[in-house]
Amino acid sequence: MAGRPGDDRAGSTLRGVPAFDRSRHLFGAVTAATTLVLIFVGGLVTSTGSGLSVPDWPLSYGMLMPPMVGGVFYEHSHRIVASLVGALTLALALWTARAEPRPGVRRLAWAALAAVVAQGVLGGLTVIFLLPTAVSVAHACLAQTFFCLVIALAYATSREWRDARAPDVDQTGLRGAALTATLIVYGQLLVGAVMRHIGAGLAIPDFPLASGRVLPPVATTPVLVHFAHRIGALLVLLAVACFLARARRAGDPRFTRLGAALLGLVGFQIALGAATVLTGKAVTPTTLHVATGAAILGGCWLSTLRAFRLRRPAPAALAVPVARPVTQS
Amino acid sequence: MSMRTTLAVLALVGLPFAGCGGPKEETPPPGPAATSAAGPAGGAPAGATTGSASISGKISFEGTAPAPEKIKTSADPKCQAMHPQGLERQTIDAGGGGLKDVFVYVKSGLSGTYPAPTEPVLLDQKGCMYQPHIITVQAGQPLKIRNSDDTLHNIHPRPTANPEFNIGQPRQGMESTKTFDKQEIMIPVGCDVHPWMRSYIAVVGHPFFSVSKDDGTYEIKGLPAGDYEIEAWHEKLKTQTQKVTVKDGEKAKADFSYKS
Repeated sequence: MAGRPGDDRAGSTLRGVPAFDRSRHLFGAVTAATTLVLIFVGGLVTSTGSGLSVPDWPLSYGMLMPPMVGGVFYEHSHRIVASLVGALTLALALWTARAEPRPGVRRLAWAALAAVVAQGVLGGLTVIFLLPTAVSVAHACLAQTFFCLVIALAYATSREWRDARAPDVDQTGLRGAALTATLIVYGQLLVGAVMRHIGAGLAIPDFPLASGRVLPPVATTPVLVHFAHRIGALLVLLAVACFLARARRAGDPRFTRLGAALLGLVGFQIALGAATVLTGKAVTPTTLHVATGAAILGGCWLSTLRAFRLRRPAPAALAVPVARPVTQS
Repeated sequence: MSMRTTLAVLALVGLPFAGCGGPKEETPPPGPAATSAAGPAGGAPAGATTGSASISGKISFEGTAPAPEKIKTSADPKCQAMHPQGLERQTIDAGGGGLKDVFVYVKSGLSGTYPAPTEPVLLDQKGCMYQPHIITVQAGQPLKIRNSDDTLHNIHPRPTANPEFNIGQPRQGMESTKTFDKQEIMIPVGCDVHPWMRSYIAVVGHPFFSVSKDDGTYEIKGLPAGDYEIEAWHEKLKTQTQKVTVKDGEKAKADFSYKS
């Protein structure tokens, strides 16, 4: 097969590292970008209170294309974009199964396909069972998980992944910082999803204080969940700042640029959170808050993947279990 | 590009899927059905404990009612076309000399059994609004839901004691029949397609209830003699109760007064 510029499929793999398949990498990146759009549109459904404006599933009022009026516009748009993402994921999985030599990446593609199917079913269950909190929260969280899977697929087929054959040493703890930030952001999104789906978005009606105090004066479940989300925002800010500090210490622009962008996004996200409260959950800031949260998770996850690909564990960390002197008393 | 425009572009992606299949009619086109703005709901069935007493009165309102809320119907061009002058919602409607749409019922004091009438009560979706605004039905009595509009609606009551449901009526003339088996006051019902559509269903375990008219008057007929607690419910102004004693053939008065 003749290769195009930037397409090394014609070349052989080296040490188990596949040739660069530009088309498949771009297809994965487009799928990831479309997933972010899907998360935004899904956020619109909740922000506009349109989640039950189409009472049936998988059809919409018994049709494939109902009149796009009122809340149907948002809910059915979500279904259309979801179908598009499902189709892209199916194509990506089949393409990967056919062209990808690494079994792990093939499994990742099948996992993404399984996740998008499960996500569709969860979406249907939320409609059929009238938005039960557990199902709605699971739907929100699986969306973020699926987003991470697709990002991983896109990165695993990138040129950077292929070319990273002599990783630098992780002397500044970038890997741990990136992974920690990712886990904290994911936890924050989970709390945010719970807050959103139990209707606790305005349980604390002011910002930055909580009912005029540092700590909220009442401790009902909605207030506690809302307050936990605010504390979570501070933890995210701290974790991302810590990641950026370590990236700067490492002096690696691949991470400093991403870390700075992430820190900017977190600042924007906190402003959106404040706007959500102060506008009484106006549609635009509320929905952007959901999508920006997903973008921050995606950025942290990509940083983690890069750190694990581009940095090998520091010798000291490797040496500890091996070089520790054995003493006998 | 606006958010709606962006979504419209995305929606175009789904156009190739359009045009296959259509909605299923739940029931044949509508026939005449009963409405129930005042009880007894469809008349108490044979064997029920009824009498010849009645309780009537007037619901008054003191103060200034808030200005009507202007509703944007532009999300659905068909709704907009039905209201070219715009749509307003007045939750405290005291323009007719009394307070309209107050649900009044016998809260306690009854001892008989009251089987549900079989004649349905009609909840109509007309002009992208619910008619009537307060729907009264006896527990177990059929509630017929009709879409008289040339646009789609979903009907989504949010009860706490009865099962919740959410059904769609995409075509004009469609009807569905539902039943609530437990007394529940009140069940909010709304359309998620048109968020301004909001109404209330009162499910009562007996037929002694009424809804105040434009002039604020109400009447509960066919009561057996007894000592009763009467409750008035308004969607904004909430509830008031009174004790009333009536004898056979007697007409008792029970007025209620709300303040802003």
